[in-house]
This record gives sequence, C-alpha cells and structure tokens, in this order.
Amino acid sequence: MPDSRSTDPDADFISVRDFSYAYGSTQVLHGINLSIHRRRITALIGPSGCGKSTLLRAINRINDLVEGAAPVSGSIHIDGVNIYDPAVDVIALRRNVGMVFQKYNPFPRSIYENTVYGLRLAGITDRAQLDEAAEQSLRLAALWDEVKDRLDEMATSLSGGQQQRLCIARAVALRPRVLLMDEPCAALDPIATARIEDLIAQLRDRFSFVIVTHNMEQAKRLSDRTAFLYRGKLIEEGDTLDIFGNPAQPLTEQYVTGRLV
Amino acid sequence: MLTRRVRGSWRGSALTQRLIRSGFAGSASVTIIVLALIMLFLLREGAGFLGTYRRELETYRRCGLEFCDLVDRPLAQQEDLAGSLRRALSSSLEPLIGQARARRDEALRLKREVDQLTQTQREVFEQAQALPAAQAAAALPEATKALSAALKAASAAVVIAPILSAKQATDLRLQLSTQIPGKEQPLALINQLQQEFLRVDKEAKARFEGLQEAIETLEEAPEDLRETLSELKELALAAKEQATLHHTLEEGRQKLLNAAQNARDPKEKAALLKEAEASHSEPPDESALQAQIAELREPLVLHIGAYSAKVDQLALHLPEAEIQLPEAMELLQKTAQALPRHAAAMRASVPELRQWKADAPVHLRSVLGAFFFGTQWLTNSSWQDFFGFLPLLSGSLIIALIAIAMATPLSVAAAIYCNQFASPREREWIKPVIEFIQAIPSVVLGFIGISLLGDLLKDLSQLPMLSWIPGFPIAERLNMFNAGCLLALMAIPTMFSLAEDALNNVPQAYIDASEALGATQLQTIFRVIVPAALSGMGAAVLLGLGRVIGETMVVLLVAGNRIAIPDFSDSVGVVFQPAHTLTGIIAQELGEVSRGSAHWQALFMVGIVLFAISLAVNAMARAMVRRFELPKS
Ligand SMILES: Nc1ncnc2c1ncn2[C@@H]1O[C@H](COP(=O)(O)OP(=O)(O)O)[C@@H](O)[C@H]1O
Ligand SMILES: [Mg+2]
Repeated sequence: MPDSRSTDPDADFISVRDFSYAYGSTQVLHGINLSIHRRRITALIGPSGCGKSTLLRAINRINDLVEGAAPVSGSIHIDGVNIYDPAVDVIALRRNVGMVFQKYNPFPRSIYENTVYGLRLAGITDRAQLDEAAEQSLRLAALWDEVKDRLDEMATSLSGGQQQRLCIARAVALRPRVLLMDEPCAALDPIATARIEDLIAQLRDRFSFVIVTHNMEQAKRLSDRTAFLYRGKLIEEGDTLDIFGNPAQPLTEQYVTGRLV
Repeated sequence: MLTRRVRGSWRGSALTQRLIRSGFAGSASVTIIVLALIMLFLLREGAGFLGTYRRELETYRRCGLEFCDLVDRPLAQQEDLAGSLRRALSSSLEPLIGQARARRDEALRLKREVDQLTQTQREVFEQAQALPAAQAAAALPEATKALSAALKAASAAVVIAPILSAKQATDLRLQLSTQIPGKEQPLALINQLQQEFLRVDKEAKARFEGLQEAIETLEEAPEDLRETLSELKELALAAKEQATLHHTLEEGRQKLLNAAQNARDPKEKAALLKEAEASHSEPPDESALQAQIAELREPLVLHIGAYSAKVDQLALHLPEAEIQLPEAMELLQKTAQALPRHAAAMRASVPELRQWKADAPVHLRSVLGAFFFGTQWLTNSSWQDFFGFLPLLSGSLIIALIAIAMATPLSVAAAIYCNQFASPREREWIKPVIEFIQAIPSVVLGFIGISLLGDLLKDLSQLPMLSWIPGFPIAERLNMFNAGCLLALMAIPTMFSLAEDALNNVPQAYIDASEALGATQLQTIFRVIVPAALSGMGAAVLLGLGRVIGETMVVLLVAGNRIAIPDFSDSVGVVFQPAHTLTGIIAQELGEVSRGSAHWQALFMVGIVLFAISLAVNAMARAMVRRFELPKS
C-alpha cells in the first residue's frame, strides 16, 4: 500500500498516529491510526462507550479541561502541526477547530450575542464587523431567515433544531477549518435532524467535518469516509460505501448490519 | 413455616417503613406547626399594640401634653444653639488663656503629687498632734522631722513640666517643701499663677464681650416662655396621672366584674361585685384643664412672638468681627443661619397651637404612622413614651448594608477563586476554613468587636493621614461600622457557600462551548460562568442579608445602642455613629417591661416586622433563583 501521506496532503489533513488516550489510569483509546481528509465528511461510528467522543474531543483538546485526561502515546497532526506539542497555542487551535455538541448548548443570552461570542473573545469590538459576521454565519447555518428579526431575543426561545443550528453558526463564525460534531442530531426530532443534515451537506466543501454518529443511516447519507471504532481501537476506516457495502473486517460487517451491540 | 416467616418479616418491614415514613412526616409537620404557632403568638401579642398605643396617644392629647410639645419640640433647639455659641466662645478663648491655665494646673498638680507622696508622714504627724499634750511633746518633734524630710525629698523628686520656667520650678519646690501643717508658708507661686490666670481670663473674656452677651441673650430670651410652658406642663402631667390612675382602676374593676359573672358561688359573686364597686372611680373631669389651657394659650402665643423676635434680632447682631479662629467662625456662621430657622419654627407652632383641640380623635392611621414613621423610640419617660420605629429600622438597615457591602465582594471573590482557580488541595482547606467562621459563637464575635476592633478603628481614625475619610476621627468605639464588619464576617460563610453552589450549578455544557470557541479560562469565567451564576449569587446576597438583619448578639454588644435616627449630614461618615437595632431592642428591653404594657406590645410589633422582613427577603431570594433558573444540565 502506497503511503498516502506523501502523495496527497488533503487526504492526510488531520493525521492521527498510534494515538492512545487515558482518563487517569483508564486507557480508553488504543493506538488509533486515522487520516481525515480535507473538505470531506468523516463519520466516526461504533457502539456506545467505544471512545468516539474521546477521539473527537482530543482533536480540539477540549478534553484538556477534564482532570487526569491526557494522551498516552502517539500524536495528532493537523496540516502537519502536532497539536499536542507544548509550543502549540491551544486557544488558536480551538479557533481553527470548531465543535458542535450533542446537546445544543447556546449561552443564555441573545441570538446575536451567541453568534458573535467567539469573535468577541478574539477581541473584535467593531459593531459593523460583528454585524456582518453574524449575518454571514447565520446564513451559513441556514438560520438567518428565521431569526433576522429577533436577533435580540434569548437564544433559549428558539426550538431545539434552531438552537443546534445557532450552535453551528456560532462555531462557523470563527471560520474554522475543521468542524467536529458529536452526535449533533441525537437530541433532535427527525425533521430538525433532516435540516441539520441538509445544512452539513451544503457546507461540505467549505469545512472538513468529523461527525460522531450513532445513526448508521445518517453516516451512510452524509459521510464520504467512515471510521469504525470498537472498544477503543480503530477496526476499519475507508470510503463510506466500502465500509457499509463491503467491509474488510467481520466485526465491521457485524456492526453495520446491526448484529453487534 | 418458612413461608410464614418470610411473610411475617415482609409485613414487619412494611410496618417499619410506614413508621419511619410517618416519623419523617411527623417531624416535618411539627416544624410547620411550631412555625405557625410562633406567628400566631407574635400576632396575638402584637395585635393589642395599636389599641393600647392609640389610647396612650389619646391621653397624651386629651391631657394637653401634646399641646406642650407643640412648643417644647422646636424650643429644644434653643439649647443646641446656645451650646454652639458657647463652644465658639471657648474655642476663641482657648489660645489666649490656655497657657496661663496650664501653668496653674501644673502647679496644682504638683502640689497634689507632693501631698500624696508625703501622706504617710502627714498622718503620723497628725496623730502625734492629736495626742494629749504630754505625749505630744515627746512624739511631735520626731514626726515633724520626718514630715519635713519627706516633704523635701518629694518636692525635689517631682518632675515639673517645662511649661513652668526654671525659676518658677525652683520657687515651687521650695514652697512645697515647707508645707508642715500649722506652720505653712503661703504657697505664693500657686496663688500668683491663679491670679495670673484669672487676669488673663478676664482680659480674654473682655475681648469677646459681644459674644458673651449674645450667649446670655439667647439663654435668657425664652425665660417667660418657659415659665408659662412649665406651668402648663405641670397641669398636663397631673391630668395624665389622674387619667392613668382612672384607667388602671377601671381595668381592675372590669376584671372583677368579669370574674363575678363567671363565679358560680353566689357568696363569692357578691364579694367580687362589692370589691368591684369599691374600686369604682369617676372619669377625671378635664374641662378645668381645658379651660386653663385655653386661658394660657394666648399668653403663650405672645411669649412665642416675643421670643422669636429676640432670636431674629440676635441673628442679625452676632458679633462676627470679634472672631478670628476659623473653627469658631464656622460655628458662629452656622448658628447665624440656624437662628432664623429656629425662630420660624417657633412661629410655625402658633397656628398649630390655635388649631389644637383636646378632643380631636386619634385615627388608627395616625397610630400606624406614629409607629412606622415615628422618629422617636422613647420609653420609661416621665413625660410621654413614644414608640417610633424609624430609629431602629435605620440602625438595622445601615448595619445590614455595611455588612452586605463588605461581605458580597469578599464572599463572591472567594467563591470564584475556590471554584475556578484553586487546586483541589487548596479547595480542601479553604472551604472548611471559611465555613468554620459559622462556628464562632456570635457573643465571641461581639467580644472581639468591643475589645479589639473598636480600639483598632478608633486608633486608626486618629491617624492624621486618614483624616480625609468622612466621619474620621470617630467618637465612639462601638458604632454601626464596627457591628457591620463583624456581621459581614458572620454572613460570609452563608454567602460563600451559596455563591459557590451557584457557580457549581453552571452547566458544564456552557463551559465546554466557551472553551471550544477559543476562550481563555478568565474569559470563560467572566463571560459565561459568572453571568450564569448571577441570579444564584443574588440569592446568596439576599439570604446573607436575611441572616444579617436577624442577628442579635453582635449588634447588641457592638452597635453602640443609641436610639436615634443617625445624623446623615456627615454623608458616608454616618456609619461611624452608634445606633440601636430592631433585634437589639427586643433583646435588651423585653426582659424589663411589664407584660401586656404598651411597651411590651410595641416590642412584639417590632418582632412581627422583623419576621415579615425576613420572610420577604427569603421569598425574594427564592423568586430570584426560580426566575433565572438555568436549564438542567
Ligand atoms: N470524563 C471521563 N472520565 C473517565 N472516563 C471517561 C470520561 N469520559 C468518558 N470516559 C470513558 O471513556 C470511554 C469512552 O467514552 P466516550 O469517548 O464518551 O465513548 P462514546 O462517545 O463512543 O460513547 C467510556 O468507557 C467512558 O466510560
Ligand atoms: Mg459519545
């Protein structure tokens, strides 16, 4: 097998190498190797507790907040930069790697303030600039038409699906290169889910997505590539069609056909 | 057999469960019932207050005490005004006579000191003198010698302040050393110093003749007025005494009649009725009093007119030219401004006097007003008791505000530090230490306030470099600020714990979201965590306020217990004045009043209001938490 890293930098945009991760003394990821392609949608699938969220949260180092949580070995490079290098500015990393959580979590403030929160953090105070960024982000998140007349209302007055799209708008306002999504539709009804999926599909050539999902159909519908994790190990990764249609590992086959719990 | 045992034990456990359940339910209901009883008791004891106080105020009016107060109240200012003039005079005199007085005082002090040092020898000498002649002849020379030696030693030993010149000091030592009783040399120097002082004093006073005259004028101006007034006051007091006596007798008679009605035994009934008959008293006839008041009204008005005219006149002719000292000047100017106001206030009493009617009814509204907006809490007075709530309320509120203003930033900052910055090990000891403050008995805190904080504050306030602080230097060690500091300490544990809880309750989802958007820890704390915890912290502050308002021991010991509305003319410096509080007054006075008296009932009214304030504060805190409740994480 030829080394994809040297031939196609886009195919190795985020490169997880021999990555192991532990919460205190409990190791939950074991030697993960995974390449995430630029401007593609990568789905992480696997049974509950297999480490999908942990892997995702390792990519923007949001797990640094959890006490005792740290990588054990291996590395994660984004565009050739080792993000666990002590010289790396975590704040800058997180601005470049946006995240959307399973349960929509807008701040208890206005829709507008939620959208521009990241920009304000970055020190932008110019009202016109913020206004423009807010509009663009809300448009990107397909929310603008619904909220343009009520930007000053509390974010919590929106429906669940709208709140999740607001969270997406909040994340894209910083123009990250990567968007990490941890079961973004798990708390939503089917209609809201469909809208979020449409939105992700629309944005697919602007950002590189890594989406954790429980929903096999969603992975099939949305993603270009799929990685299957099981008990903290990466069992198989590849084109979504291959993973679902023609898996190389029996374990993968069992999981995608619903025979593994 | 086996099944039965199982069933039996199952039943037993159901019974136990039921018992346990009802035990808990019982404790809950006991608490609620006790609370209800307390409220009921408070209300029952306090409810009579309005009636009793109304009756007292009616007597106050009917017997003419109110009439006297119409004049007496504004007239009270006259003494203050004369006082400030006297202070202006004495502070003007001081630089002129201070030296002479100090020299004389120093000489007198030295004489006392020598007397003290030689006291033993003097006593021996006096005993020897008192002996029969034969024995005296033997003992006296010895005693004289000893006394004279002691006098010499003492007058040589005393330290003389440099205010006396070297020559004066030598003379004084010499004169003091020869003070053998019976053969005293005249203390020439002391006499001389005294003469000198009197001369200087006279000269100085001559320079301020105008001011002295002004003081005399002001002091003598209301003489006629006061004379008429005190005549009236005597009449009023006598009438009040009669009215009170009648009321007491009447009350006793009613009780006897009631008892008689309930008595079964006809003999007993007859006895009771007879006793009741014996204590019958006619309601005092107040028409004579009212005629006298009517008769004295116009002379009184005339006196008021004359007095006010004199005051106005005086205001125009205050001898400002004589005064040079800035502080005396200031006093004089203030008095000059206050005098016309005083005269106006006196004149304003005239229409009130004319409109006043002894039999005007006292409305319930005005009784309520006299309690809730009354500016005087005056008890055990020989004239009239007043139960005005404002002095106590203002003391309680100011102290509570001081405490909250200090405790809020401290406890919130401590909570933020502990919750967000501290390492787990730091947290492990910070929290217990802060919560331990609660374990300090409040009487111990009061002790600290009296013995430590009071002196510390007073000493600090005397530092010249701190004199810019309003209210410094402070006059009283025990004051509202002192009490507020200690109450802040008492409120901190509650407020800290609740604020910490509020911070803890901020959903992790907000924190994650903020960090994922590139926030630094500080940004997350101040843009997300603190705002989200704000309502909880507000509730913490309110509950702290409730705790502080209800606290008794510390304020009783440390607040200074002066029953008066604080003087706000000193802006923020008002906090250094002493005050009394709602809680303190109950604790202090309830033990001393007779059950059922107006005073007793008034204290219960204060208790009811206190209870209502606490309830309101708690309800507000709850509403605040509920209103801004965060979504469950
Ligand atoms: N904060 C944490 N502390 C300790 N263990 C954790 C923590 N979060 C997750 N885990 C453990 O790590 C494993 C992987 O969890 P997670 O990554 O959340 O799985 P997934 O998202 O695939 O359901 C699980 O066994 C879980 O119990
Ligand atoms: Mg998960």
